[in-house]
Amino acid sequence: MAFGQTRAVTDVSFTVEGGEFFSILGPSGCGKTTILRIVAGFLEPTEGTVLIGGRDMKGLGPDQRPTAMIFQSLALFPLMPVWENIAFGLEARGVAKTERRKKANDLLKLVALEGFGDRMPGELSGGQRQRVAIARALAVEPQVLLLDEPLSALDLKLRQHMRAELRALQKRTGVTFIYITHDQSEALAMSDRVAVMSEGVLQQVGAPRELYDNPATPFVARFVGETNAITGRVAAIENGIATVESAFGPLSGRAGDGLSAGAAARLYVRPEALQHKTRGENRLMATIERIDFEGAFALAHGTLEDGSRLTASIASTELGEAPEIGTRASFAFQSANAVVLPDG
Amino acid sequence: MSAADRIMKGLFGVYFAAFFVYLFAPLAIMAAATFNTSRFPTVTPWQGTTLEWFNALAADRGMWDALWTSIMVAFFVVLVVLPIGTAAALVLTSLHARARSFLYAVMVSPLLTPGVVIGISTLVLWRQLGVGGGVFLIVLAQSSFIICYIMLMVAARLQRFDRTQEEAALGLGASKFMVFRRVILPFLKPALFAAGFLAVLQSIENYNTTLFVRGFDTPLTVYIATKVRTGLTPAVNALALIMVAVTIVGAVTYEAVRRRSRTARASKEEEQPG
Repeated sequence: MAFGQTRAVTDVSFTVEGGEFFSILGPSGCGKTTILRIVAGFLEPTEGTVLIGGRDMKGLGPDQRPTAMIFQSLALFPLMPVWENIAFGLEARGVAKTERRKKANDLLKLVALEGFGDRMPGELSGGQRQRVAIARALAVEPQVLLLDEPLSALDLKLRQHMRAELRALQKRTGVTFIYITHDQSEALAMSDRVAVMSEGVLQQVGAPRELYDNPATPFVARFVGETNAITGRVAAIENGIATVESAFGPLSGRAGDGLSAGAAARLYVRPEALQHKTRGENRLMATIERIDFEGAFALAHGTLEDGSRLTASIASTELGEAPEIGTRASFAFQSANAVVLPDG
Repeated sequence: MSAADRIMKGLFGVYFAAFFVYLFAPLAIMAAATFNTSRFPTVTPWQGTTLEWFNALAADRGMWDALWTSIMVAFFVVLVVLPIGTAAALVLTSLHARARSFLYAVMVSPLLTPGVVIGISTLVLWRQLGVGGGVFLIVLAQSSFIICYIMLMVAARLQRFDRTQEEAALGLGASKFMVFRRVILPFLKPALFAAGFLAVLQSIENYNTTLFVRGFDTPLTVYIATKVRTGLTPAVNALALIMVAVTIVGAVTYEAVRRRSRTARASKEEEQPG
């Protein structure tokens, strides 16, 4: 089922499936909030359409759309007790008071806040307020729930906890979530699919694994996860493998779209794809500057011969064989674990 | 502490004392004069202590009629200015910067116009329409400038309103009217109470505008002014003393209630650690 289609900012077009947890990921100011506001009906697009469940939303205000929005500030009504906050949408629909109270209690149970109905929002903690905002949005039984960085105000521990909770809630209710975030780990951890945006342009839409393994553009390669970039010129493309002539000799990786022989290109290889070994193809020599121990793995930071930086990750179990700081070490990677994209 | 410091501190103390004497001495003298048996409101010479002026006040029919007229005027002024001033503030805060400064200038201009001019021009206008002076015109004339205060106070509060609350409410399906009734109005409540209180005070104490539009009705300020000419007795002081007492008791009660509800809320928060 085609659930929604948006064309906004500059030529942005994507389809969100029903019941999907869909994230829009991008740095601040990339236009992701604009898209959300267009879907919600707070902004009218100058061009293009928004379809929800196949229905054109043109001319429909936020009160007439099957959407509910959760704001970054949450925007709870501070002068109403929690249950009235949750039942606000029902009140707007003329539902009787006893019925509203009952529905509010059901929703409080759903978000694990039973018995909090008569508190005021100001008496709740950040995480509790978050859940009230979600319950309030779910009360109107929206087809699409729009979330504008709702976790950004929480501390790290609570944020990670709320991620799991949001994800579970979405699966339980089956409501389509469109989630906006600038935090790539948040988007990767929670979403079925992610749309990456930069400067008002849609870069790529795909499952988290797909974005990580097969970035379609240099922006996605750099923004989603850590990566090393090596510039060069395409020497040959064969069977989907592109060979780049670089300052460190020929290096090869899977060929991305838009590559042509002789054109400037960059090869992207993830830190965990680099292995400390002295043999094999695709070798890079780096002077090790420091090794940051991160727990499960360590990150070795080095400098290549032309002065550019290289980061390789080393599993903690293999730290015994790690190169010494200050020495020159050789790292190799398999062509299947690298991607070559046009330079730009 | 150096000598210069001590002198500065001394001067400051003297200034402070003078400031409060200047502020409260007239009130104190006025209050004291109420209890003097002298036929004029004065404390010198003190001819004897009495409560008779309260009796005289109670017996002064004209004074009570005037007070009643003033209260009635104030009541209708509040009825007129609260909705209109609030509406003006809502319009003002929803406009773009340039239109806003223009409208602001237009709406505040009655505050800069001398009260006498407002009074006379109101009278001239309504005379043309066959309406003479009286309570009706007093209400209109006073409202025309009291509205400005209401608008300013409500607009100040509105500026602190979180607009996303309005969007959230609309997004949940609320009509504009419901947003106003359930979200904006409760938020404005403290400002509306304060503005209403100010409107009552402004209305009751107004003299110069009221004088021209009063017709045959006599509000309190006009009555007292007339009495000054025909012979003022300390009964007026008794009335003033009662008004001051009522104001002070009202303010203290309000503050006490406010503090108690705040502590109640604070202790409730402690029960549920975040």
